[in-house]
Amino acid sequence: MSMILSSLIIVPLVGAILALFMGGSREKLSKYVAIGFSAATLVLAVLLLIGVFGDFEDLGEGYEWIKNSSFIMNYALEVDGLSILMVFLTALLVLLVNVFSLDEHRENNNYFYALIMAMEVGLMGVYLAADYFLFYIMWEVTLIPMYFMISWYGGPRRHYSAIKFFIYTHVASLVMLIGIFVMGYLSVEPGEAVNFSFEAVKEGLAVGLLTGVISEGTISLVFALLFFGFMVKMPSVPFHTWLPDAHTEAPTEGSVLLAGVMLKMGSYGIIRICIEAMPTAAQYWQWVIIAIALVSIIYGAYGCIAQTDLKKMVAFSSISHMGMVMLGIGCLSDAGITFAVFQMFAHGLITAMLFMVCGMTGHKVGTREIPLLGGLAGRMPIYATFMMIAFMASLGLPGLVGFWGEFPVIMAFYEFIKSEEVIWMIVFCMLSLMLTAGYYLWAMQRTLFGPETKKIDLSKAHDVGHFEFAVLLVLSILVAFFGVWPDGALQFIDQYVDFLMGVI
Amino acid sequence: MLSDFMIDTFGDLTALLTMIILAIGALSFPAVQMFVKKHTVTWAYALILVVLALVVDAILMVDGIEMEYLGVRLSPYSTFMGLLFLTVLSLVVLVSNASIETTRNHSGAYYSLLFGASIGMLFVTSSYDLLTIFVGVELTSISSYALVALKRKDGRASEAAVKYAIIGGMSTALTLYGISMVYGVTGSTTIADIAAYVAALDDTPWILAIGVLCMLAGYGFKIAAVPFHMWAPDVYEGASTPVSIFLATASKKMGLGVFIQVFLFMFVGAVTAGTIFGETFQYIFAIVAAITMTVGNVVAIAQPNIKRMLAYSSIAQAGYILIMMAVMTPNAEAAGLFHMFTHVFMKGGAFLIVGALICAGVGEKISDYKGLAKRTPVLAFAMMLFLFSLAGIPPLAGFTSKFFLFASAVGTPGEASGEWVWLAFVAILNSAISLYYYARVVKAMYIEKGECTEKIKVPAMFMVAIAICVVFVIVLGVYPDLIFGFAEAAAGMI
Repeated sequence: MSMILSSLIIVPLVGAILALFMGGSREKLSKYVAIGFSAATLVLAVLLLIGVFGDFEDLGEGYEWIKNSSFIMNYALEVDGLSILMVFLTALLVLLVNVFSLDEHRENNNYFYALIMAMEVGLMGVYLAADYFLFYIMWEVTLIPMYFMISWYGGPRRHYSAIKFFIYTHVASLVMLIGIFVMGYLSVEPGEAVNFSFEAVKEGLAVGLLTGVISEGTISLVFALLFFGFMVKMPSVPFHTWLPDAHTEAPTEGSVLLAGVMLKMGSYGIIRICIEAMPTAAQYWQWVIIAIALVSIIYGAYGCIAQTDLKKMVAFSSISHMGMVMLGIGCLSDAGITFAVFQMFAHGLITAMLFMVCGMTGHKVGTREIPLLGGLAGRMPIYATFMMIAFMASLGLPGLVGFWGEFPVIMAFYEFIKSEEVIWMIVFCMLSLMLTAGYYLWAMQRTLFGPETKKIDLSKAHDVGHFEFAVLLVLSILVAFFGVWPDGALQFIDQYVDFLMGVI
Repeated sequence: MLSDFMIDTFGDLTALLTMIILAIGALSFPAVQMFVKKHTVTWAYALILVVLALVVDAILMVDGIEMEYLGVRLSPYSTFMGLLFLTVLSLVVLVSNASIETTRNHSGAYYSLLFGASIGMLFVTSSYDLLTIFVGVELTSISSYALVALKRKDGRASEAAVKYAIIGGMSTALTLYGISMVYGVTGSTTIADIAAYVAALDDTPWILAIGVLCMLAGYGFKIAAVPFHMWAPDVYEGASTPVSIFLATASKKMGLGVFIQVFLFMFVGAVTAGTIFGETFQYIFAIVAAITMTVGNVVAIAQPNIKRMLAYSSIAQAGYILIMMAVMTPNAEAAGLFHMFTHVFMKGGAFLIVGALICAGVGEKISDYKGLAKRTPVLAFAMMLFLFSLAGIPPLAGFTSKFFLFASAVGTPGEASGEWVWLAFVAILNSAISLYYYARVVKAMYIEKGECTEKIKVPAMFMVAIAICVVFVIVLGVYPDLIFGFAEAAAGMI
């Protein structure tokens, strides 16, 4: 059996452990260790993506890990069209974040990089796991480093934000854990051992539903437990309040990973577990999902307008854009889910840029308060250019990647409401498009253009550093590349969605 | 196999073998100490004996031997618990000679008391009669009072010992009172007879209920279940660290063993039969479990002293383990036993590090741990592992055992009953709370700047003991099958 998927987890793990112990005089070296190991991971991920290792189906790994009279847990990893994009995105963003941070030195640098690498371990595990036990372990593994990242390296209100982040997401994942228990127990006959592999549970539930051992009501309850866990992570209104706080206080690197790949764990879980294993329950909850999605989109967009902190504004825009993902999923149609996944990918790239740019505002100018800023374009032209690219991509400008995430989802939603004969609901989408364009353009106008601000001292403001420039350039290129050639990502998603449509 | 050899050689005495080995030690240590006058020799002698007993017990456990002699019942359950107690004892003995806290002048008495207390524990878990269990518990308790008091020059230790003895005496009285009432109603002190009587009951005789409640309160003191927990933090703080380890990990497990043997046995028939009497007690256990874990975790947040914090955290851990008393399925028992076992290594490991650092001149306050990662990276990392394991962070032992435990509260394969889901939810929420105070220690060690930057050197024996704990915290987390099968076999006996 090949070890490619395992090595995607093991390589960052080794990096994390090495970085952790590089204290004292070797502290400065820890960043290069992190860069080395995350680059190796990215190389592996890219080779995997372009098919050097062969077909995805042949790469699965599975070993029985824990076995007793009531449980069988497997160390099982699999990759398919859905997870490969997330794996690539994770590997990419972790490397970029490591490089991005080179321009800045902080105390206890080695722990910082150990946390980033530990996060990569967890993220890779979540996206590759094919067993509920492993999935849950990895889910928790991502949470802890993020908590420490915020509470150790964050802004002034970091302790409050970190604990809020932790409580929200941890309680949600515990609800999910109970859901996993119930799902596992339901999937077997009394006396049998519960096999926690995705495949076995899925089959067990299908058989149970067919024979009538499990009622529709029970299965929709289980769906709700798991969905709640994922929804808080995404996050959807009304469980979103941890996100703006976490982002405002987190260091830029943490924000990028949090918004870029960690939020996607939620939507990934919804597709991979809720929809794939319990399609009938998904039908049952369809309107609830759509309602949550619409509320998140609109509320997030309105939230953006009210923010004065650039980073908080971007955080709210994440809520709105993740709502778009949820909307696509809620359509339960081929196009809907395809572009929901594309939106996950697109949002990962764009939001990384957004948070880097906004985080830089804090470092370079000294404040992120929009009312205090103004006319930065003259003094920091490169910075302004990247900010414009990021904002334009995020508001869905055709030709950039954001367009393919947003517009087709709305199309899919239109198809859905047409079949349900409630076309007036498209109003919500129109409203969201307007609001999104509005808050980005307004924010850009107030920060970059107009007369240079007199409210703060701009004499120390400087343009982007070398490493920051390189990272932002790479992201801009990717944003444009997938904007003109969305098929590059869609070909993988199609593979998966074809399979998923067979299940539904 | 080896167990056949033992049975051929010792015959029926095999059932008592571990206790005999410990008894030889307990009786001979003062003499050895008197004649040899070298602490290291007494220590080595004690270590050899306890390792011997550990090996004997492990062999009997692996082969699943069942036998009975002189009212002592050797079973997969008793050998499993025996392995737990003897593991703790060997860890404690291992560091006792290196620790500056254990009074050297009394090392003969010290080892005698430790071994005596352990004999009591082994005796408890192989008994099936209320009176013999009572005798075993008293043997352990009385030895423990003396162990706490051995740190003689310390005011806190004396206070702790007095407190411990008074509260222990009260719990003894309560227990005996309860036993007398139960005996009065059922006419027997053998648990199997009582269980049969209870299972056949249609109504609830109040005097029996009061008797059982008295016993519950009495033994509740032993496991420091809320509201009988007040003594534990004071005692753990006052006692020397090796003794604290012994009390927090072994002594408490004996109490939980009593819970399993007495109450579980007594009610499992009644619960299966579905009588109100049985179900009422199931709910009492569930509520005690929920309150115990919540109080333990919430109060732990406010503790500035690390030993007190760990004491409250072990109160909380007892709360988790009590879940098995409410759920009463074989899965839950196996998971509970397994959690007791992993708890030995994580809590024992954390206390060992505290003890090692005391030897190196670091204080007991959490603020004394500032900057520890710079002074001793290895110990700081080990401490982080133990605390994370206690909080239930994967892939460490504490996570795996909690996973099994909480899963058992949700249902059994093929059936998600939903009756105890709320208990699982409370327990899981509590694990989330607990991470808060464990993370505080980790933060002090890794991020905050300490006044002192001098490197720390700790005694070698502490390092060995800590290394053993680290290995097991990781191995049992990644490969629980190593022990879980035996926990299942032990639970099968119940």
